[in-house]
Amino acid sequence: MAQLTSIDYLVILSYLAATMVIGLWVGSYVRSGSDFFLAGRSLPWWAIGMSLVATDIGGADLIGVGGDAYRYGIVMGNFEWIGCIPAMLVGAFVFIPHLWRCRVTTIPEYLERRFSVQLRLSVAACWLFLMACNLGVMLLASAVFLKSLAGWDISVCILATALLVGAYTWSGGLAAVVYTDVLQGVVMICGCLTFVVIGIYDVGGIEPLVDKIHAVAKAQDLQDVRQREQKLVTNERLAERVKPRHDRPAHESEHLSLVLPVDTRSPGPWPGILFGLGLIVGPGYWIGNQCIVQRALGARSEYEAKAAYVYGALIKNLIPFLVAVPGLIALVKFPELGHERADVALPQLVGALLPVGCRGMFVAAFLAALMSSVDSYLNSATTLYVNDFYRRCYRPEADEGQMLAVGRWTTIGFVIWGIYFAFQLQAFPAGIYTIFQTLLSFFLGPTLAVLAAGMLSRSASSDGAVTGFYAGLLTSIGLFSLNQRGLCQWLDLKPLFQVGQPYLYYSIWSFLVSMTFIMIFSYFLRSDPPEKTRYAIGGTNPDGEAA
Amino acid sequence: MTVFHWIGNFLRHQLDLVPLSAARWLMVGLYLILMFWIIQLSSTATNPPDRPGTWRSDLKIWAWLALMFQIVIYSVF
Repeated sequence: MAQLTSIDYLVILSYLAATMVIGLWVGSYVRSGSDFFLAGRSLPWWAIGMSLVATDIGGADLIGVGGDAYRYGIVMGNFEWIGCIPAMLVGAFVFIPHLWRCRVTTIPEYLERRFSVQLRLSVAACWLFLMACNLGVMLLASAVFLKSLAGWDISVCILATALLVGAYTWSGGLAAVVYTDVLQGVVMICGCLTFVVIGIYDVGGIEPLVDKIHAVAKAQDLQDVRQREQKLVTNERLAERVKPRHDRPAHESEHLSLVLPVDTRSPGPWPGILFGLGLIVGPGYWIGNQCIVQRALGARSEYEAKAAYVYGALIKNLIPFLVAVPGLIALVKFPELGHERADVALPQLVGALLPVGCRGMFVAAFLAALMSSVDSYLNSATTLYVNDFYRRCYRPEADEGQMLAVGRWTTIGFVIWGIYFAFQLQAFPAGIYTIFQTLLSFFLGPTLAVLAAGMLSRSASSDGAVTGFYAGLLTSIGLFSLNQRGLCQWLDLKPLFQVGQPYLYYSIWSFLVSMTFIMIFSYFLRSDPPEKTRYAIGGTNPDGEAA
Repeated sequence: MTVFHWIGNFLRHQLDLVPLSAARWLMVGLYLILMFWIIQLSSTATNPPDRPGTWRSDLKIWAWLALMFQIVIYSVF
């Protein structure tokens, strides 16, 4: 992209200064471990709602969705729509109020109360591993993009982002994370909205944009099919031939369709979207991810926790228009890039479209998306470690002051780890980000299964839950192995899946296996005592109130 | 071929027979079911307990609005 001017830098520095002021100011009110991990249970619905949305959209997602929208079209919007909104609304009225009433700090803590300490430590260890790795992945992926966007050095980007985010998260914990997320959410939405409006104006309006998308995407699809057919022998050619579709007019491409066929090359075939994303990954993420749920647990009332999720669901309707449409505009402006170079389309579009000042605003929006996710993962990883390992296993008698001190030291530790891991990852191939997304799909299904079974049924037992969690996790890794080209060649098998990125199918599998094991083992093995089953929805908590 | 390949091929073939318009209706149907469920929730579950509820504080309305947007989006795209 074109060089940033001093006005652009002024915009970026203003945003960074405002973030630091808010974060450090909030931090001056933190006095205890409860303040640090749950903001003293004082957060209002509007702050949590915006924070939920900002946390969910990371810097790498902003770029990844843009690039994938260039390749596959608006189908990527499914990940923000059907992948979020139904789960957020079910969470708002069923799961989140229950977790809030149980007065837990982490989801694994709830799992110990309902099931057993083995399940608590297993789930906490899996999520802690994922979050700690994700810190490095996010820092590196975003630094790479900032290099292509603004020409900044990758090492400087990693260090600067980690230290800035680390400073206010160290100072203010969850409250600082949530209130800075509000600013970051507003900056991200305004920056992306400006970009989209300028882009649509540049291509002549919405109707010309739609026509050009169909024309360009059709031509690219045709070229792609020809390239694939050249690589195939005759028999395979017959099997691989693209089937004629009668669901849409001949001049229209799949780029503006949310519902794609089973054999699509995009990551969004409709069964995966509906059953995997809508029914498993979405609920698993919005109900089982500590990073997301933690801010609702810090709400000042049960009603505000519900309202935050509903408010977040309303904002979510807007997000795909902000993150996917730039990719479609880039497709029209730079069709020559093709699928292979789709990830550079967005930086190129920023340089070509945005005037002085607006470029700085887009970089600020990107930084906002990046920082809002990194700070959340940093704070949640700290919360998991301190509550589920340090306090549970090592120092159960730790008071609020000690918890605060350990929380702050752990935050520093994770900042150092994130920087170290990001530097180490530079030696790995570019697909490392996809590997961690696949890992997430292994965890989400089993996590949702144990949570749903624990909350919705008093018959589910701790033995069943532990067995189900590990069965779902391990068998999904087995399924993943059966799709690896090297192993398949060795075993003389075809890869199991024909879609490029089948992680939605892994999540369906892991959920179904977990649920089956939970049901079978709960039925045949000993049942849990009433002090455990009372933590199911409709039971009572230890104070005798409705849980 | 493992048993997983056999099951996968069978499912892929069966799902491929479902018209995309029917798949779209399944997605819209999910939202309609959610709308029906939300309207049935008690007002105590969707209003603040400590102050008189107004239409603005009733979460049913806002949840419905979010779902209505979704139905429009999935009907258009």
